[in-house]
Amino acid sequence: MSDYRPHQRGGGRRRYHQRDDYEDRKREETPEQKTRSAIIKLGEVDAVEELPRLAAQLAQPRHRVPAIAEGFRIGVTEQPYKIPYYAALLHLLHQEVKPKDEGEEEHASFSSLGAAVLDDFWRGFQGFLDKLAWREIRCCIQFFAHLTEAGIVAPDSMVSLLQSFTAVLDEFGASYGRAKRAALCAAEGLMIAGYTIKQADPDKATSMIEAIQSYNDGIITTKWIVQPDGQFSNEQQASQCGAELLECVLSALKELNALDFTTTFIPRPYCDYPSLSSAEFSYFRLPSILVAPEVIEVETISTSTGEEIQVKKEEWPEYLLKLFDSAITPAAETAPGYFVKSALIDIVTIFEVNRKECARLLLEYPKWTVPGTFKPKPGVKQETSGAAVENNWELESTIIEIIIGAYLRLPETSHTAVYYVTLVTDLCKLSPSTVGPAVGKTIRKLYGLLSDGLDVDLSRRFTEWFSIHMSNFGFAWVWKEWIPDLNLDRDHPRRHFMRRAVELEVRLAYHDRVLKTLPEPMQDPEAAVISAESPGPNFVYDEPGKPHYDAAQTILNLLRSRTKAEEVVEQLDVVKQSMETSEDEHIADVDGIIRSIVVQSLLSVGARSFSHLLNALERYLVLLRHISSSSEGVPNKEAKADILSATSVFWKNNQQMVGIVYDKLMQYQIVDPADVITWAFERGHDSDSGLRSTTWDLLKGAIDKANGRVIIATRKLNVLRKEDEERRDRAKANAGGAMEVDGDVKPVDEKTDAENAALTNAVKAVDSLVREQKFALSSALDGFVNRLTSPTSAAPKVILQEEWARRDSWGSSEWIGWEAWGWYRQFCRFYAPYLRNYQATLSTVSFAKLETATDPSSELVKRIWNVATGQEP
Amino acid sequence: MSHVVQPLDQPSNYKDSQARMDRNRQQDALSKSTTLYIGNLSFYTTEEQIYEIFSKCASTEEGGGIKRIIMGLDRNTRTPCGFCFVEYYTHAEALACMRYISGTKLDERIVRCDLDLGYKEGRQFGRGKTGGQVRDEHRQDYDPGRGGWGAQVQRQEIDRRKEAEERYADAQDGPGAVAGGGEDWKDNSVPEPEKTLKRERSVDDDDDGEREAQRARTDGDDRI
Repeated sequence: MSDYRPHQRGGGRRRYHQRDDYEDRKREETPEQKTRSAIIKLGEVDAVEELPRLAAQLAQPRHRVPAIAEGFRIGVTEQPYKIPYYAALLHLLHQEVKPKDEGEEEHASFSSLGAAVLDDFWRGFQGFLDKLAWREIRCCIQFFAHLTEAGIVAPDSMVSLLQSFTAVLDEFGASYGRAKRAALCAAEGLMIAGYTIKQADPDKATSMIEAIQSYNDGIITTKWIVQPDGQFSNEQQASQCGAELLECVLSALKELNALDFTTTFIPRPYCDYPSLSSAEFSYFRLPSILVAPEVIEVETISTSTGEEIQVKKEEWPEYLLKLFDSAITPAAETAPGYFVKSALIDIVTIFEVNRKECARLLLEYPKWTVPGTFKPKPGVKQETSGAAVENNWELESTIIEIIIGAYLRLPETSHTAVYYVTLVTDLCKLSPSTVGPAVGKTIRKLYGLLSDGLDVDLSRRFTEWFSIHMSNFGFAWVWKEWIPDLNLDRDHPRRHFMRRAVELEVRLAYHDRVLKTLPEPMQDPEAAVISAESPGPNFVYDEPGKPHYDAAQTILNLLRSRTKAEEVVEQLDVVKQSMETSEDEHIADVDGIIRSIVVQSLLSVGARSFSHLLNALERYLVLLRHISSSSEGVPNKEAKADILSATSVFWKNNQQMVGIVYDKLMQYQIVDPADVITWAFERGHDSDSGLRSTTWDLLKGAIDKANGRVIIATRKLNVLRKEDEERRDRAKANAGGAMEVDGDVKPVDEKTDAENAALTNAVKAVDSLVREQKFALSSALDGFVNRLTSPTSAAPKVILQEEWARRDSWGSSEWIGWEAWGWYRQFCRFYAPYLRNYQATLSTVSFAKLETATDPSSELVKRIWNVATGQEP
Repeated sequence: MSHVVQPLDQPSNYKDSQARMDRNRQQDALSKSTTLYIGNLSFYTTEEQIYEIFSKCASTEEGGGIKRIIMGLDRNTRTPCGFCFVEYYTHAEALACMRYISGTKLDERIVRCDLDLGYKEGRQFGRGKTGGQVRDEHRQDYDPGRGGWGAQVQRQEIDRRKEAEERYADAQDGPGAVAGGGEDWKDNSVPEPEKTLKRERSVDDDDDGEREAQRARTDGDDRI
């Protein structure tokens, strides 16, 4: 800065920043933006009042048709709760005619402003169709359905539009996701415009319902695998806490069909306007369409062996959570219930980019519904005469049920899981006195479901939600109401929940903070809710009396003084020799002891913080590589298992740290994902900790790491391939010009060779990582198969129906066995996109010993696998 | 992109007073950033607490995860002074934190996340006159979580403080003081060419970084 003046330093800078901001803000809205935002903001105070004013305003010459249509498109697709009011607005615009002498050609041929806007709107819809933007398509269809009811769209053209979507259900090989979305489009259009459609042709409505029904009848088994609760071996058992989306749609449609689609629960503000019957008016005929074919968006990995690997997330049937009585929250199987729930789900999905706004809009939702849908706010008097319906649902309970339902979707949430958690937090902040109790009720309901077959991954998510939520609200939970459950078996799902929830709370806070929130009976370490002390390290060589104390001290001091890794390696040999020649005792596994000492000492040096851990590991990578390979330098499985064991002993009180250390050991390539997986299964045989959520966390960390590496390597390879192609094209182009002079082409070739080396290496990397991934997945599958069919475990027994019926008397081994089945099911359905690629190889190897077995557990292992990987209908 | 509401994952107007990049290059860097600045931490919050909440936005299955956490330290006392950097492997993870973590509580304080240009040596230290963050120089209120504690604070707070104070007593500065967190998977069977020390230095490194930092430390430009 040449004009640098000391006394102005801070201020000058600040002013500069402000000017920047000011310039951003003062950027004028263009006329198009003004038009759009007038439409988008419809209804901020009172939609019905605003409509005639807005219509008149839009008829003014400064608003152009394309901008108005764009405003409608944004309004309809991003604020679907306003769709009935946009239909009303378009109705009013059909009575507005712009002065034709104003030179707007696109407008000139239409009888009214509304007709011009609708024509333009339709073109946008075509765009959504081409892109297969399903949510936008669905919202537009709702809009057209309202327009049909408003007498603007020709009913028979609406029927054709909806039939184009039911036609998708008959396509050969349509994915479930495509069929489901197409069915929703047709169904929702029919719900809204059914009255008019049925008046015109009574058979069309019924035949569309039948089309959806017959599609749905064909997908029974996949529902069983993503049901939120139930028994493992009973595929027919209905869920107690959820209803499947397409089932809900169908039952709502049938209910409406029986009533000839007369509805009172859908706002239809356009019904108050006189119908459009002027001589100039004619129906808008929706042109016929074709739903664009499915584009398979997958990352294809082709290895050098020609194997093609695709990672494609299949869609599964979707359950809508139902925790409360139908008097409190809507049942999605009823038409009014489906209508409200689907509208709320849309808000949660669309406003994911801004959870604070989302929370506000959710609480404001009742203003877009007909009076009587929700219970009026306390203090607000219900207009008894104006109520069209008398559902009087509780808004907050409904919203929480929707959000937590989306959070508990199997096999995974559609947005990052923590979004839903934070959304609930923000709702509580907006209206603590009304949302708080709804959250409390939801927690109690889910807690009650824990031992009634709630899916284990859902239990895990419930625990996470609980802990994060509590950490945002002073850890204030009424724990004392669960004191009686301390009498249940130690491994009963409810006691497991308490223990895990407290463990996660401690991770987010600290031991003493959480301890003081618990009632006395739960503070007692005997109650197995919270540990006696804060979860610190466990250095097993910490006292002179302990075995190998001296050797460990030698190593520990070397590491503490940051001795060079190579020197420590030399010292190890000295220590090893003295152990081998020790006369006091015979040590069977000297190498194992050395590994344990090194790992424990290293972790001890890194125990202060995550950064300290990273520093210690990075400083001693050479040392870690030394102890993880055999004397010949080849990787040693046993050594890696020893490293993992020493870690789990060191952090035996702190599962979070075990996970962190394993993650970094994999990151630094000291151990491979498959090492962690094999180790996680084998440890269970030594101790009775079983295959529980802590083990699952480790398995998932390792499998995800293996999968993630393949993805990164593939992306790198794809970039190189693209560059290579471009280079070839360029070379070709150049060579074309220099055809006659052979010598000139050479330099290009040389360069290509060097680049090809990078490409060859990238291909090799993908090959090797794909192998590692396959190995990781097969290790996991082997582990599960062995565990679940082991005659010494309770797992084979607990799946029998008579056993489930007497689960009240189950002990630890039964509950642990039961949980193991849950993780196997989650493994199969969650990793199905990866497992499907290696389906044949994996199952041949892992199921070899089950081939002829017909016992229930072997059958169930195969059944779950086959359904998840799409081998059985 | 939403037309109706402002997405929460936009970078704030904060500008690192010591970063010498023009506005467009900064915006470009932020649009790829994998690093977050986290503010309004309690002095006693540990890296493991930070790890726990920020791991909720990690996507290992996409090749992501928490690469490292760099605790902000008082330049004189080497104790945490209420901010940190969290570095992921992917940009999407950083964006997810802006949407879902920023504005929620950690250790009972509302934390603030901001996309950051990336950690550079020296940035782990507070820039306030007395060694901490500038905001704590001017703060008028009593904040038990940020050094404003007295006898009335419970004993456990004192214990935690002691632990926290000792934790980083060994903190160093200079190259290599902060661990890298581990790079992407490499094929170990292919020996890497030896790196010379000279190559470690990137072109972007300022020779006068230290001098520049000294001058700018009192700029009063750090975040809440």
